[in-house]
Amino acid sequence: MALILIKYGPDHPAEGVKLSSAREGDCAVLVQNGVYWAACDALKDAKCPVYAIKDDFLARGYEEEQLDIELIDYDALVELIERNEGFLG
Amino acid sequence: MSKKVLFVVYQSPVGSIWVNEAFRTAFGMYGEDVEPSILLMSEGVVALARECKPEKLGLLSVKMVQRYVKRYGTPVYAVGEDLDTYGVRDVDEGFSAQIIRKDELPELFRQHDYVIFM
Amino acid sequence: MKIAIQVMTPPYSYQDMDSAIKIAEAALNKGHEVAIFLFADAVNAANSRVKPIRIDRNIPKKLEELIKEKGLRVDICGLCMEYRGLTEEAIIEGARPSGLPELAKLIAESDRFLSFPA
Repeated sequence: MALILIKYGPDHPAEGVKLSSAREGDCAVLVQNGVYWAACDALKDAKCPVYAIKDDFLARGYEEEQLDIELIDYDALVELIERNEGFLG
Repeated sequence: MSKKVLFVVYQSPVGSIWVNEAFRTAFGMYGEDVEPSILLMSEGVVALARECKPEKLGLLSVKMVQRYVKRYGTPVYAVGEDLDTYGVRDVDEGFSAQIIRKDELPELFRQHDYVIFM
Repeated sequence: MKIAIQVMTPPYSYQDMDSAIKIAEAALNKGHEVAIFLFADAVNAANSRVKPIRIDRNIPKKLEELIKEKGLRVDICGLCMEYRGLTEEAIIEGARPSGLPELAKLIAESDRFLSFPA
């Protein structure tokens, strides 16, 4: 089980590779400009749950109801860190 | 149990420091119970070109890492499709790089506890 | 749980240091041991001489507060400091110049490791 941290948007050469290597049991978290993936259809193909940092998401002008993605705070991110031994980021 | 760490470089070996830093970091792991490997992808694969010489611009050489790769036996991987994309035909054998396909990356990632993109 | 976080990009130019601080603070509040390893241009996050404008956040000061009040550990790559002219006198109180052996130890001994790509 790995935590996958995505900090760049869909145009970045590395982030798509990370997301496409996700497996069941992993979880991916969109931080910073990684939240731009939230508006991207490719995210629907992810094989693991994907979360986005709420503050990063709202600060970029999106509204909570606008996109279908679970928004989390840093306490929740720490819980995900606790639950996932591996790291890909 | 030792931890396996894959350092991934996707940026160019000329004009950015990350190929050098990834190798330097990897070599720094050997004092502890950590097994480092290196993956070159996207523009990072240009480091393998025989004539890739940042020192022509007064920048730090990337070839200097080769003797340590040999000494430590550090596994080095490179994405074959990216070698084609960036026109790297003459691969410098001094890196002892193993060429892998893009679709093998998820499995490579799984073989490591931490995958650190630099 | 021991959690280590590596940051590589310069503070103020990018958001990595801000994210790392928020994760570190949340983890410290939950009782975890947290270390931040500053690598490459991120070393400036521990430079006590940075002087942001009044309405902006003071990153080194925030780090220093977390060190003093919540026991955050801040390690700084010594070679990266030298490259950037950052002296020991200039760094915030409680942060420690270290190097790749310390990073290797953090990776080997921490229960969780996170990093932000450059």
